[in-house]
Amino acid sequence: MSITIQNLNKQFGNFTALNNINLEVESGELVALLGPSGCGKTTLLRIIGGLDVQNSGNILFHGKNIAHRNARERSVGFVFQHYALFRHMTLFENVAFGLRVKPKKERHNETEIKRRVHELLQLVQLDWLADRYPAQLSGGQRQRVALARALAVEPQILLLDEPFGALDTKVRKELRRWLRRLHDELHVTSVFVTHDQEEALEVADRIVVMNKGEIEQVGSPDEVYANPGSPFVYEFIGNVNLFHSRTHALWTHQHGDAIAYVRPHDIEISSDPHPSSLTAIVKQIRAIGPTVRLETATLPDGEIVEIELSRERFNATPVSVGDKVFIYPRHIRLFEEKKKNPEFSAIAHHS
Amino acid sequence: MLKLKEHSVLPGFNLALGFTLLYLSLIVLIPLSSLFFKTATSGWDNFWEIVTNERVLASLRVTFFSSLIAAALNAIFGLVIAWVLTRYTFPGKRLIDALVDLPFALPTAVAGITLAMLYAPNGWIGHYFAEYDIKIAYTPLGIVIALTFIGLPFVVRTVQPVLEEMESEAEEAAACLGASRWNTVLRVIFPSIYPALLTGFALAFARSIGEYGSVIFIAGNMPFISEIAPLLIVAKLEQYDYAGATAIALVMLLISFMLLLIINGLQGWSNRRGMK
Repeated sequence: MSITIQNLNKQFGNFTALNNINLEVESGELVALLGPSGCGKTTLLRIIGGLDVQNSGNILFHGKNIAHRNARERSVGFVFQHYALFRHMTLFENVAFGLRVKPKKERHNETEIKRRVHELLQLVQLDWLADRYPAQLSGGQRQRVALARALAVEPQILLLDEPFGALDTKVRKELRRWLRRLHDELHVTSVFVTHDQEEALEVADRIVVMNKGEIEQVGSPDEVYANPGSPFVYEFIGNVNLFHSRTHALWTHQHGDAIAYVRPHDIEISSDPHPSSLTAIVKQIRAIGPTVRLETATLPDGEIVEIELSRERFNATPVSVGDKVFIYPRHIRLFEEKKKNPEFSAIAHHS
Repeated sequence: MLKLKEHSVLPGFNLALGFTLLYLSLIVLIPLSSLFFKTATSGWDNFWEIVTNERVLASLRVTFFSSLIAAALNAIFGLVIAWVLTRYTFPGKRLIDALVDLPFALPTAVAGITLAMLYAPNGWIGHYFAEYDIKIAYTPLGIVIALTFIGLPFVVRTVQPVLEEMESEAEEAAACLGASRWNTVLRVIFPSIYPALLTGFALAFARSIGEYGSVIFIAGNMPFISEIAPLLIVAKLEQYDYAGATAIALVMLLISFMLLLIINGLQGWSNRRGMK
């Protein structure tokens, strides 16, 4: 089932949480709402689920306007950051809840409920814990139960609010891979909220980057990473070095007030000077897994520039702390200062 | 040998336990056991005769039944008040919140006299009921009202923190799963506040059984109808009938203890089901 959001606005008192949001989520897609905390991503998700009410705007499920239906009538599965399991019920009863509260006419008989609950618990690989209470489970297990519970009523749309936010790194990684597999099996239209760019890049079909109640960019993970549409997206996703045209006119060319954005892995170092290179001193060298991260300070003004090299590349021309090196960018993107849209982008080739 | 003390990182076990036992002995155990000894001096037959006396039995019935009804009323309306105080914000909320504790602070005799005045057939509230031939003050109904007044804070103050702690997310989850409001209240909210509600009920009930000051002013104190057991005890004391007084007291003590044990058991049972 597709989701269409038209001109959605939400205010909390004087604070604008969502400002004229327009978004299309296609049937069967897995979409991530990504942004820093307070950007309105959770509010947007809650409004889609009917847990908050918009001030204006429309929400269409499969072309039908459901903006004024409450959560109960939207048949949407919702997974909360802190699981929100029913503490006084066993896992079995938690998952069965949605089936038991159905109106009498639609309710299944007890054997059918049992069969379906066990099927769902098997799907989340927790069937052997059916008689336990939520308090006896680990965080990762609880979130899997919450997911099974949401899926029990066979929702057409699944909404997940920072589903792995409360879990530690290892469990997170496991669970998001598992979520991706589950989504590929079930093909239920899913929207999940996260502030973790890695999570969004790894799991989602498409990413919606939000900032201050507005959508900054919508695109595939690759597009959003390789071709950020605004300075905000550049800074929020991945690391980036900024160069002001005032101090580094060489890199930003002749343009007036502009800022150049360069990813750390798009910077080359060499021991010989180059027409467009800057001189820098190596301040710190840290090897993190397959990459080596250099912190350098430009001469003469001492601005910090981060550089990432592959281990092989580093080993081919090793440098040490205190060395003077020449750095030049392989790929630069310019944005006019204090404006959203890129004035132009340039790829600088130096060979 | 029985090992009393498990090794623990918390220091001061011996001292703390010793103090607890001493304190409880001085304040609770010794006074209560002297009740047993005093009663025992008068002999079994005498005891049996006193406690099976019609008037004594009637007063025990009045005490326990009106306490039970008052505690039940408090459980219902105290829950509503706690709900309103935790779930909504409105002007004057803090004032109402403070008002709830007033029955704790007021001398019970003052409460009794005030209630008797209000609910008397010619009182502010009583005269509306008098028009329909309903008497409140000086009847068992009056006793229930006094006891409801006394017990109210117990329920509100035990349920309130549990309601405050309850995450609204569980309710939202229930709504998303298609549960009606009624189903949510019944299956999600009530089970999680039920143990606290039971505690509040037990406290209000226990308090009501022992209540004396407020009740005697509004009850009318008619033997067999609106005479409570504590009053009968005082009456016996005034006649220097110590054996009679302690005998009634002992029966009250035993019944109260049994009822509280049952309520405790119920709580333990529901806690085990709910797990912590």
